[in-house]
Amino acid sequence: MIETFQLSKVYSRQEVLSGLNLRCEAGQSIALIGPNGAGKTTLSKIILGQVIASSGRVEVNGIDINRGPDYRRELGYMPQVSRFPVRMKTHQLFKLMRRLRPDVGEGEYDTELYEELEIDGMKNKALGALSGGMRQRVSAALAFYFNPRVLILDEPTAGLDPLANEVLKAKIRKCVREQRLVITTSHILNDLEEICNHVIYLLEGKVHFAGSIDELQERTGETRLNRMVVSLIKNKPARAQYQ
Amino acid sequence: MLNISKIIIWDLWKNKAVIAYGILMLTIGWGVFAIEDQPEKAVLSLLRIILFVQPLVTLLFAGMYYYNSQEFILLLAAQPVRRNTLFFGVFAGLTAVFTLIFLLSIGLPVLLFSPNVEGLSLLFAGALLIFIFTALALLVSVYFADKARGLGFALLLWAFFAFVYDGLLLLFMYQLADYPIERPVLGLLFFNPVDVARIFVISKTEASALLGLSGAVFQDFFGAMKGTVISGCVLATWALVPLSLAYRKFNRKDL
Repeated sequence: MIETFQLSKVYSRQEVLSGLNLRCEAGQSIALIGPNGAGKTTLSKIILGQVIASSGRVEVNGIDINRGPDYRRELGYMPQVSRFPVRMKTHQLFKLMRRLRPDVGEGEYDTELYEELEIDGMKNKALGALSGGMRQRVSAALAFYFNPRVLILDEPTAGLDPLANEVLKAKIRKCVREQRLVITTSHILNDLEEICNHVIYLLEGKVHFAGSIDELQERTGETRLNRMVVSLIKNKPARAQYQ
Repeated sequence: MLNISKIIIWDLWKNKAVIAYGILMLTIGWGVFAIEDQPEKAVLSLLRIILFVQPLVTLLFAGMYYYNSQEFILLLAAQPVRRNTLFFGVFAGLTAVFTLIFLLSIGLPVLLFSPNVEGLSLLFAGALLIFIFTALALLVSVYFADKARGLGFALLLWAFFAFVYDGLLLLFMYQLADYPIERPVLGLLFFNPVDVARIFVISKTEASALLGLSGAVFQDFFGAMKGTVISGCVLATWALVPLSLAYRKFNRKDL
């Protein structure tokens, strides 16, 4: 579904991504992990077209993303921090988004998260008056609203209360069962363990490990994701092998 | 594009700074005609407003608005929306609100009390200056990632166009008064949209003393009709060049 070819990004002489070759398929739920500054957010932003790659290319369903914005119909995105126009009310935000998406008809919206995260209860509140966690809930409901085939979630569980967190994770698991592709960036490995079946570990802009959790388990001999990741970092030969 | 413009107009409409600016402009626009008994004088007072106050507010406010809505632009950029739709949507929304305030506060009284060539040229120049300075504001904001730097530069730009440039030009003309400098001065004049707008309006009035040295050179060289066409074209260029530069940068920018 998403494929990158020799993808590189240089920010003022600093190489954030260098020659990334990745292939993500439908039905995968990928944990995109790595230390701070490894290039996780940059990678998701390039896929979303918000950041322009320095070289290399990205294909979504076999079509180069530079061909036009239509591929983003397939994408649902939840940013790390969501800021909306402060005076806009929640229901107005959804109305605006619906207007921007004439391709999705009335009644085709996925309102599951909208209902379960109780967005309706804050529909008349100004977005600027919402707390950080409430904004995250709005952002989550919005990401799933148009039934995207691909979901890119950047730190989705940060700031959510335990209940909302469980609702979101259940929704992600459901999406994976529906053969959608979910890419989640997070540092909370316990959350990722519950929702992901694949891992991409980025280190200094390169793919340090990419494969299923089962493969990673086999490679490291550990059972818990956080232990696997620790052993991945410590294991120097593995680094050389998968670069 | 219309969807995005609509949302920006709607957002600006509730902005306290916009409301305050609107009230200020309404007071000035209608008040000047109430105080002055000669409409000609009133038009000249309003000219000062559109040459100094309006560019300053447009530059700073449009710049600030862009910086403050960066996250929202990011959210919109993740939707199946083209970058040019997004950019021109923001530009159109900003200019629409400024132009509406301008028309209500200065346009209406001018059309009521001074419906003549001077009045119309004032409105034309004022509207073009809104375009020009909104485009410049977006150009500056798109180039500077840092808000403080961007707004500082916008302020400098305003000071430069509003009085520094004129001072330098005057100095230049004074120093080289013994040489035939009309043509270079004419050329230099085109590099300041505020000057061009000033000459554009004043050449229509009888207050030619206000033309200044540079304006007199301009008037003398081109004559009334040709001068109007040329200064109008220069103003249009001033609106289009920064806008297209800003658009090109925005199109390839990491949001």
